[in-house]
Amino acid sequence: MSSPRPHGARRKGLAPYLLSLPAGLWLLLLFVVPLLIMLSITLKTCSPASGACVMTWQWGELPRVVNQYRSQFVTSLVFAFVATLVDLVISFPIAYWIAFYGGRRKNFFLIMLLVPFFVSFIIRTLVWQFILSNNGVVLSFLRGNHLVPSSFHVLGTGLAVVAGLAYNYLPFTALPLYVALERIDRRVLNAANDLYATRRVTFLRVILPLAIPGVFAAFLLTFIPAFGDYVNQEILGGTANTMIGTVIQNLFLIDSDYAGGASLSAVLLVISLLGIWLYARLLGSRTIEEYL
Amino acid sequence: MEEQGHDKDQPAGMDAALWRGMTQKRFSRRQTLGMSGVGLASLILAACGSPSPSKPSAKAVGSSTWWQDQKLNHVVNFANWPYYIDLLAGKHPTLEHFTSTTGIKVNYFEVIQDNASFYQKIRPSLAAGQYSGYDIVVMTNNNPQLGYLMQLGWLIPLDHSMMTNYNKYAGPLIKSPSWDPGNKYTMAWQSGWTAVGYNNQQVKDPGTSIDILFNKKYAGKVGMLSDPFELGSAGLLAVGVEPASSTESDWAKAAKKLKQQKSDGIVAAYYDQSYIQHLKNGDIIVSMCYSGDIFQADLNSNYKDLTLMLPEEGAMLWTDNMCIPKYSQNPLDAMKLMDYFYDPQVQSVVEYYNDYICPVPAAKQELLHPTGWNKAALASLTPSVGLPTSVTANSNIVFPTPARIKASKGYYNFTDQAEIDAWNNLFLPIIQGA
Repeated sequence: MSSPRPHGARRKGLAPYLLSLPAGLWLLLLFVVPLLIMLSITLKTCSPASGACVMTWQWGELPRVVNQYRSQFVTSLVFAFVATLVDLVISFPIAYWIAFYGGRRKNFFLIMLLVPFFVSFIIRTLVWQFILSNNGVVLSFLRGNHLVPSSFHVLGTGLAVVAGLAYNYLPFTALPLYVALERIDRRVLNAANDLYATRRVTFLRVILPLAIPGVFAAFLLTFIPAFGDYVNQEILGGTANTMIGTVIQNLFLIDSDYAGGASLSAVLLVISLLGIWLYARLLGSRTIEEYL
Repeated sequence: MEEQGHDKDQPAGMDAALWRGMTQKRFSRRQTLGMSGVGLASLILAACGSPSPSKPSAKAVGSSTWWQDQKLNHVVNFANWPYYIDLLAGKHPTLEHFTSTTGIKVNYFEVIQDNASFYQKIRPSLAAGQYSGYDIVVMTNNNPQLGYLMQLGWLIPLDHSMMTNYNKYAGPLIKSPSWDPGNKYTMAWQSGWTAVGYNNQQVKDPGTSIDILFNKKYAGKVGMLSDPFELGSAGLLAVGVEPASSTESDWAKAAKKLKQQKSDGIVAAYYDQSYIQHLKNGDIIVSMCYSGDIFQADLNSNYKDLTLMLPEEGAMLWTDNMCIPKYSQNPLDAMKLMDYFYDPQVQSVVEYYNDYICPVPAAKQELLHPTGWNKAALASLTPSVGLPTSVTANSNIVFPTPARIKASKGYYNFTDQAEIDAWNNLFLPIIQGA
């Protein structure tokens, strides 16, 4: 009995590592290595002409760009936060209704929720540009009926950007919420009912607390991509509401300022990781797996 | 094979001008530690042992012996800006005619949205010593990228023995230009003005000055261009300085004027090519513009409200240049196509659609009295253009008088990267927004 034990223990000890090897290699090659390359670029000096970068160990880039683009960071945080809140408010009733009253047609309703998102992200946003343009359908109608002043416009304002973000990221909010609400054990609701809880109390003290991990997951899944988004701002925004994603995109793709772009990307990454860390601290890491 | 990859650059069915809007706006370009970027680049190239472009050698790329070794491959990949060539039912009559007479297939890509971002797309290939996928690219003389391409040796010197049409028909405006003396690397595609366009229904007293762009009356309805060289030049004209002979202190004055314009809420947004769509949509009613766009829109019965104004302070004159990037796989086919466009018959068809400044003055007669295949081509284009060819031929925008050319302004010629950085540091923060 005693001789095979160490052998067995060793195999057992190695098995998890071996099993995680493919995923580990994947993570190493496609995430850790590129991440390190990106971080190393923040210390390089690149030529705008040839694009060649040489390591100059210049540590000044990160503070310089963070300082220079502080207002764009703030704009992005505010826009992404507002858009996420809007999404939560809109999608909670939808998810709730599908989860509790969808019956056998739940999948149908979920697909209906997703249908607009079968169309490319950019095309959808461009269509909004047409709809919201000054001579577009909506504003022409409103102005024609004197419901808004003739100088009223939507395109180029922060409102248009937030609306675009909220629209484009809605499924990222609705689906985690749906999953959270759907998994609530109905017997718990029956129990609440048996204990003379009103529907309002049941909702506030049973359903909502049980849905909180879903709300938080929905928040992260919406907020993080919205925070780094640049398409909505590029298409719907104007001069006064540049988001940090737009800045990074331009630094990389137009200005050849790789060090600056990499620095801002690193800051963005840190902010996103902070959000996930907060989630793990508040709700435990186990629930992350269920939604993310 | 190469063309497959490029189709992805532009989603099918999408308005090219809008797609141009996706890659717009520049942000701060950082200083390269006081070192000239161009100089830095050539140091790196030298260190890597890359062949120096000017190294004399019997078979040097672009030498006459090198050109003699080249063979026709009967295909050419041409990268150009959107809406810049005759178009009829999804086809380009001049390119079709070229293919039918030479047997050379032209893959025409409307992939250039602005100089900087397009340069970023082809640069990695060129830096790695590989074919960029294009045998002809069109770069503007008012941006640094054309200069970068020349300085880094990334353009193939042209074979002047093949430039028969060019030598015969090229107009004085673009022959041996200051940015490419002797046409070593480039032949002009078209020239144009950066001027002012406005909606004549909503702007009743436009006047003749560039001040219209700074008029508080049009607050929130004025479009400015996001190209820092265009924006800065407009600012210089507005403060009464000739851009070509301006100094760094003038640039600061211009930047101050533009900042004021922005903080006064006059500017709706800084646009790239997409400004034309916003003018048509009514999001803006006055805008910096490219001459051909507004002239085209003005002629088109759907947009009769748009009018072009060449301000009395002067309109900025630029030229887009065809050139052959290094490692081109079909340079001989490219040379043939480039020279083909200098045939007045061909140019008449291009210009009838384009309405920019024609590089071939003789095309005017071909528009009025077509003498060959272009007669049928022009007639077939007439329904979509909507106006007789004589309007284009007699336009002072397409075939300008020498006096009008003389009244135009040139861009500042940067002598080194430090100057480019200084310019960008002044004007990019304005475009970037806050």
